[in-house]
Amino acid sequence: MIGVGTDGPTGAGAGSDAGIRATERDCWIALSLVPGVGPAGFARLLARYGSAAAMWRAGPAALRDLVPFGDQGAPGGELHWRADPREVARSLQQATERVGGRVVTGLDDAYPPALRTLDPRPPTLFVIGPQSVFLERAVAIVGTRRASGYGMSVATEIGDDLARAGVVVVSGLALGIDGAAHHAAVAAGTPSIAVLPSPIDRIYPPRHRQLARDLLRGGGAIVSEIAIGASIGRPDFARRNRIIAGLAEAVVVVEAPDRSGALLTAAAANAIGRELYAVPGPIDAMASRGCNRLIADHQATLVTSSASLLRQIGLARGERPPTVNALSEVEGQVLRHLLERSGSIEELVDRTRQQPASVASALAMLEARGLVNPFGGATFHPTVAAKRLAKVM
Amino acid sequence: MLATALSASIVGVDGVPVRVEVDVAFGLPGLTIVGLAGSAVLEARERVRAALRNSGFEVPSRRITINLAPADLPKEGTGHDLAMAAGVLVASDQLDASRLARTALIGELALDGSLRPVPGVMALVSAAQAAGACDAIVPVENAAEGAVVQGIRVRGARALRQVTRHLAGLEQLIVEGTPRRDAEAPPDDAPDLASVVGHAVGRRTLEIAVAGRHNLAFTGPPGVGKTLLARSAAALLPLLDEREAAEVSRIHSVAGLSQPRASVSLRRPFRAPHHTISMQALVGGGPRIRPGEASLAHRGALFLDETLQFRADALDALRGPIDSGAVTIARVNGVLALPARFMLLAAFNPCPCGWFAVDGHECTCEDGMRRRYQARLSGPMRDRLDMIVFLAPISSFRRTGPPEDSSAVFARVVIAAERQAERQGSANADIPPGLLDDRTGFSAAVRAQLDTRARQLGLSMRRLHRAARVSRTIADLAGSTLVQAEHLDEALLHRPKEMRA
Ligand SMILES: [Zn+2]
Repeated sequence: MIGVGTDGPTGAGAGSDAGIRATERDCWIALSLVPGVGPAGFARLLARYGSAAAMWRAGPAALRDLVPFGDQGAPGGELHWRADPREVARSLQQATERVGGRVVTGLDDAYPPALRTLDPRPPTLFVIGPQSVFLERAVAIVGTRRASGYGMSVATEIGDDLARAGVVVVSGLALGIDGAAHHAAVAAGTPSIAVLPSPIDRIYPPRHRQLARDLLRGGGAIVSEIAIGASIGRPDFARRNRIIAGLAEAVVVVEAPDRSGALLTAAAANAIGRELYAVPGPIDAMASRGCNRLIADHQATLVTSSASLLRQIGLARGERPPTVNALSEVEGQVLRHLLERSGSIEELVDRTRQQPASVASALAMLEARGLVNPFGGATFHPTVAAKRLAKVM
Repeated sequence: MLATALSASIVGVDGVPVRVEVDVAFGLPGLTIVGLAGSAVLEARERVRAALRNSGFEVPSRRITINLAPADLPKEGTGHDLAMAAGVLVASDQLDASRLARTALIGELALDGSLRPVPGVMALVSAAQAAGACDAIVPVENAAEGAVVQGIRVRGARALRQVTRHLAGLEQLIVEGTPRRDAEAPPDDAPDLASVVGHAVGRRTLEIAVAGRHNLAFTGPPGVGKTLLARSAAALLPLLDEREAAEVSRIHSVAGLSQPRASVSLRRPFRAPHHTISMQALVGGGPRIRPGEASLAHRGALFLDETLQFRADALDALRGPIDSGAVTIARVNGVLALPARFMLLAAFNPCPCGWFAVDGHECTCEDGMRRRYQARLSGPMRDRLDMIVFLAPISSFRRTGPPEDSSAVFARVVIAAERQAERQGSANADIPPGLLDDRTGFSAAVRAQLDTRARQLGLSMRRLHRAARVSRTIADLAGSTLVQAEHLDEALLHRPKEMRA
């Protein structure tokens, strides 16, 4: 733990001289670390006391004012107030810089412009990656961690199309849809922003550590509202999802079952006035229940295709000539069927009326050329490249 | 006086001749057995004494010493009883020694003097034959099994009295005829492929696996037909040749499984142990070394239904035999290898709930639980599979006439197996990496294709070799001397892939 809690440097008590000599920014940072002070509580206190320095001078009494509003349960951490805000801010800054990141407060010019429109807004952010990505047009792609092959394929296609059109893809680095969207953006060579529910030095989920590295190497950024060293029990998905929506001009929900985190992002998008799009799914697919409901309730715009989504957002689909050589007859036939509808080999054998052997070797060839994606070997999906190729087939 | 009788003991899955030397001398009455005898052998003292008495013989009230030679070989089991009893009779002048010299005596004695069957008679008789015996007397229940061994007359007996009368020339025990081989009927417990609806790809890959003896896994949701399809392999495996058949029967005989294979069957074994099996029962071993299921599946198929439910140590222990074709067991006096060259058939759900990656269905597993489940297959085990095939539920597929039955597939498998034997003298699954070249039909062009695919798909060397062997079988099924690009691609499609989301 750095700079906060019982390990923090102890100075004078509440209302100490240390608070007076510290800068507004130091107090701002120290205050945003007090457990129980969420963005809403911070905003209320700021409105009441006028400045972070004034809040700090008020000490724990300031927090007691929050209780009736119950921002995030009872605010705790009396001990925090004994710390010197300068010390707290400096050690947090150092810890963040050690992992290649920086502390960005609402007082700083580097604070992402898109988040300034939020009320309340996260008081302090922790960022790795260039500030310039926050100035680009950005669209969020979110969805369930338990994505189907269909969902993964759609998220990849939309992510790829957006990235090729120069749009920054924002998502949560989670397994499933989020990961597919980031992967596609990174592969297309456009920066992408990942908002973590955990501190920036603790990539969550751990399985996406490599993806996070690739994302940073591609000029993207990793953002979190959680300070390094903060003791958090569970990853805070609700606050994370709000930042995802906040950073983007539009949010696309690809697959979301009922009561999923993606729906919280969708709700946040509507609450803060971001365009909301949802990709429909089969009516009997649990993974698409949330999306279908958003569309049915007119809360989200129906996405009929990746191209139409781009048009609605006001972008032209980035075209890239296919680099794939001519396909054999069976390969072309298999690919055409897959472009119509993804399926298992069994279905393809049935639909193409070819021998299992020739369908299998055609699929292997298509996979080798990056045109088909075998989702665990169960269902085969055409890749973005295949869809592009389809236009010249 | 001193008498010598011939018997045999089992070491691993082989028989070793044992000389039973009996000395009857003046001294305190008693019976001592020496020569690294195990507990079952030591208990022979009581059985031999009672059997002799109850068969109307006299147990000499002198000092009897029985030595089992060679003395450095640990001896187990009850098969030496008969030789000991006969030795005592000769040494105490109750029986003429002349016919004892070249007759191996094998069998356990009951207290009333009747003979009880013992496991491993085929291996025991072989050992006796190799040691120069012209005759062998075995329990009547084991006679047919023993008679499989060529170059030795095998007679079955019911009791010690019958054996002594035969040895005394008072009665002739009948020589068991060489077992007649019945037409090789397919095993009745194997489901016929005619009962498998749909699953064109599952059937195709099963045919490939069986023809080249490759390791195949079926996955897919519960009730989709993984087990049925895998079990039907029993009737599809190509036949054994005579030498292999003798080897397989000997292992089964040692394990005491001779009943279902009374004679030498050319059918390959198909073993399907339950997932609760212990590591020892799966790969063999234990204080008394017994062949495990892996050895019982030697030259046949080992089917692990619900593969991922097997104990982790049991699955791990299969790596050795899959790589080397044998289970090696360290013993006090050296290392013992039990043959275990089987094709592995696996079947498992893609996740605990079973519906992961099934289009149009939801997996209800908690993420961590599913990952832990799938991790059981990861790494070493996955590397040793040649193909993993996902069986999708059959929904509303077009039916195209009745499904082909097992005999039609078996006919193609037999031809493909013959091509392999002719070309390299082994199944394609056993082609060493160094032989994957022009000699086995891999032209420079197709080898270049292999390199390209390895790069495109990021394949390891081991994976590449496995895919190449499978493609060789696909070419054999197609009747092609050369492996073609399309054969290679079909093999590659079914290579094990990570399940991920
Ligand atoms: Zn599941």
